[in-house]
Amino acid sequence: MNRATRTLRFFALLILYCIAARGFSQNAKLQLDILNKLGEKAARSTDITLDGSMLNFIASVIEKLDDEGDQDVAQLKSIIKGLKGIYIKSFEFDAPGQYSKEDVEAVRSQLGSRWTRIVQSIDKRNHEHDEIYLMKNGDKVAGVVILVAEAREFSVVNIVGDVPIEKISALERHIAANDDDSHRKKPKKGSGHDEE
Amino acid sequence: MHFSDDDLRAALKRKDPGEGFTQRVMARVEQAKAEGDRQPSRKGLALPSWWTRRPVWAFAIIALLLLGFAWAGYEYSEYRHDQTARRQHQQLEEAQRQQQEAEQARDQAMMALRIARSKLNHVLEQAQIPVATDQIRRQRL
Repeated sequence: MNRATRTLRFFALLILYCIAARGFSQNAKLQLDILNKLGEKAARSTDITLDGSMLNFIASVIEKLDDEGDQDVAQLKSIIKGLKGIYIKSFEFDAPGQYSKEDVEAVRSQLGSRWTRIVQSIDKRNHEHDEIYLMKNGDKVAGVVILVAEAREFSVVNIVGDVPIEKISALERHIAANDDDSHRKKPKKGSGHDEE
Repeated sequence: MHFSDDDLRAALKRKDPGEGFTQRVMARVEQAKAEGDRQPSRKGLALPSWWTRRPVWAFAIIALLLLGFAWAGYEYSEYRHDQTARRQHQQLEEAQRQQQEAEQARDQAMMALRIARSKLNHVLEQAQIPVATDQIRRQRL
């Protein structure tokens, strides 16, 4: 093998490595824009996109906010520290059957072999199919997808980065209480479960 | 040294100055005149004659000029003061705007995490997994 061939092979491998590394770092983020059409039928829809730059901005500004004693902000800081993105699409409908299996499959099909389903809950009586998927990168979590497909609700939560699930799950009740207040002002018709 | 008559006659004989003598002389005259113009005139430095003839007017003009300068200085200091106050006001507004943006961003992040928490705990409850999520914690380790 002459020198030119070796150099060529080296650069080809380098390019492949870069492409693989790029794909590896990106594929924890799902394409959720395909669900936008459900917004027309939904009685209530929530769309949150906090990408890496936005989370960096939030991390930098909450440092500046004079909330040193605020427990919410302390929790927020510790949670978003390792995150690269939070993407949420949530649709609540007045009547069942407003979204199709294809809509759910469109999301599920993006969860390739690197994703592991860690929780699945199927309730056929109530047409509920809830799942949690996890992507790991070595010892760390690279991404989480929470899929809630119920009769009157379809929600996808995609968190990219080192997700501290136990911290999110154990978020202080008083943070949730703030949410309850805001929701009580706008009573829901669907079967949502933000009001815990 | 002895000079003969012929030598003296030859020495004192009239000679032709050559062609262009007049032009050379006139050029020298013009040059001398130009140099004279460049010299500062003593007359220009002297006080105008009316100054000595009407000193009251002269002092009135000086007083007016001084008043004018004083007024201009006062106006300038007021202008600077206004500019500084305006800049401080803009900085305050900018700081308030940034604070608002920061609070909005924080609230948005909190809302995102609240929803994530709500959905996560809902799924875990549906799957009859304790919310403490030992299983998930084990998965992470």
